[in-house]
Amino acid sequence: MATTEERIRKLVDENLEIEGRPLGRGLDLNASLRDAGVPSADFLAFTKVVAEEFNLTFSPEDCSRFENLGDLVTFLDSRG
Amino acid sequence: MVMIAQNSSESLSFVPGPWWSPFATTAGVQIVHVALSPDPACESEAYGWLDKAERGAWGKYLPRPRRQFTLCRAALRAILCERFDCRNDQLSFGAGRHGKPFAIAGGARIPFNFNVSHSGGHGLIALSAAGRLGVDIEERIPRRYLNELIEAVMAPEEQTELAALPESAKLHLFYRLWTLKEALIKALGTGFSTDPSGFQAPPAMRRDGRSSVFSFPNLPSVAWMLEDIGDERFAAALAYELESPKIGR
Ligand SMILES: CC(C)(COP(=O)(O)OP(=O)(O)OC[C@H]1O[C@@H](n2cnc3c(N)ncnc32)[C@H](O)[C@@H]1OP(=O)(O)O)[C@@H](O)C(=O)NCCC(=O)NCCS
Repeated sequence: MATTEERIRKLVDENLEIEGRPLGRGLDLNASLRDAGVPSADFLAFTKVVAEEFNLTFSPEDCSRFENLGDLVTFLDSRG
Repeated sequence: MVMIAQNSSESLSFVPGPWWSPFATTAGVQIVHVALSPDPACESEAYGWLDKAERGAWGKYLPRPRRQFTLCRAALRAILCERFDCRNDQLSFGAGRHGKPFAIAGGARIPFNFNVSHSGGHGLIALSAAGRLGVDIEERIPRRYLNELIEAVMAPEEQTELAALPESAKLHLFYRLWTLKEALIKALGTGFSTDPSGFQAPPAMRRDGRSSVFSFPNLPSVAWMLEDIGDERFAAALAYELESPKIGR
């Protein structure tokens, strides 16, 4: 069974691109997607993909709290 | 504490710099264009103007967003220093709860509104002595996941209008609507806590209208002027508060 982190990394690889190129596997979990140059529309679309994959919903407040992918993983793990 | 006074409340002029120049002026809002193509000499000069906190942020960015941040922030520094007659080392920046930056000089918040946006090779800085404002710019690059993006950030009626268009017109309208929404969210300063699919751009601006008055459904008492300021190079929008008695909220 893949860990939350592995599933998130896979979703990043499959769904996020910068200027038409995949974001890349090496993304640091502590890195903010904004610092990596992911535009905000893409970030919001990505949270919807994550919500579908993990079968839950994010409120806009939840989304505004995610500073980086690590925060997202922690949030998802806390939801069990 | 150093008292910071505006050089001239009427004048919106400023000296263009090596990588920034006037873009437009509308109803007391000045918009500056920042050239963000790779230019190591400009980037290194700009880096030299950043303070310790900004250099810390600089270290976390990947190369392209790093260049965008550095060149825009240094241009903003130069413009504010000129306008408020202060030295670069007197100027620093704070941020609101959702990250919207404001300027501080000599220990006090400068009573002046600005907002920054960057995309690809272009940045815009909007500046105003009056109410809150937000600006957004997007280069119209084709998107692999355009339909998913539309579903994520557009209101139902907007989604229907976009679905009826052929691909290139759809991309064009997507960027137009997205910059309008983002400029409004940035003017509010609430970041992702305001759901862009929870409100729709004024119908006139979903067609060819270049400007319109807008109010958020849950904030009807505040009116915003919304302007499409895009050109052939990029989609862009400006939102500014109408008749606001308060500055720098
Ligand atoms: C900033 C934000 C409103 C717009 O992002 P965007 O469209 O991708 O980027 P833009 O180029 O238009 O705007 C970025 C600029 O907006 C300004 N800004 C930052 N937060 C802002 C806010 N809450 N409101 C208004 N402006 C803001 C900054 O000046 C920033 O540029 P700088 O960092 O170089 O100074 C959006 O990214 C956001 O809400 N971020 C906060 C949460 C976040 O980043 N989460 C990351 C999850 S991994």
